[in-house]
Amino acid sequence: MSRSFTWHQVEPKDWRDKIGESRNAGFTFFDFLTGVDRENVEGKQMCEVVVHLAKADLSESHFISTQVLNELPSITDLIPAAQWHERECAEMFGVQFNGGNAKPLLRHENLGRPPLLKSTVLAARVLTPWPGGAEPEIKEDGRKVGNASRRRQRPPGVPENWLKP
Amino acid sequence: MKHSFIALIEDKCTSCMLCVRECPAWCISLDSHTIDVTEEGARRPRKVNVLDSFEIDYSLCMYCGVCIDVCPFDALAWDEHRALVTTNREDMLLGIEELGPSGSS
Repeated sequence: MSRSFTWHQVEPKDWRDKIGESRNAGFTFFDFLTGVDRENVEGKQMCEVVVHLAKADLSESHFISTQVLNELPSITDLIPAAQWHERECAEMFGVQFNGGNAKPLLRHENLGRPPLLKSTVLAARVLTPWPGGAEPEIKEDGRKVGNASRRRQRPPGVPENWLKP
Repeated sequence: MKHSFIALIEDKCTSCMLCVRECPAWCISLDSHTIDVTEEGARRPRKVNVLDSFEIDYSLCMYCGVCIDVCPFDALAWDEHRALVTTNREDMLLGIEELGPSGSS
């Protein structure tokens, strides 16, 4: 069976309208809603929110996306099934869905930064010894053998000042 | 080809550490040392890395294949055979010997 996929990028103000429009055009199967951390977009910390809607026979798909700073109107009145996904997205990416269910899904409230943002430092990555720190003349624990002169490398995602010298 | 095992072709490995650093699960560790090799006619000895140990911790590996993709020398490859099924975590840690491609040993 051939399937067609179409991407629609919309402004946050057209978010609900576009999703309502697709739903009314027969795209009634809600697959998922999720976030993508776009980090720096023209100097702003942006998150892209994506919804996948499909026709019931899965022959056609609409991916509808928008870029937001941190809030977006909820679509749970249009698609009730999106509630779980909105709560997850709110928790993981820090996007607030106005008019939706704001109750946390899995995490405790005020448990620090949203974990799926790229700027969130994972503490385990700082505490666990990184095997990539080794060099032919620098051992995993930082011991130097031979005449190693290279500066010690940092594990990906760990800021410089998080590692003790 | 089944994606059930990541094999190491030891001869091709130059201990460049790319796989170790790119692995998102941090499941590869590698130890090596540098020796000087003097070739005939060369002015100065050349530094060559010698692989001492190479381990994949299959209790952490998620079979994403990033290590295979980033290896510039094709020293890592998908392989048919499987990592052990075991109740002992230490048995999941495979070294150079166990990581050889199937058919080689």
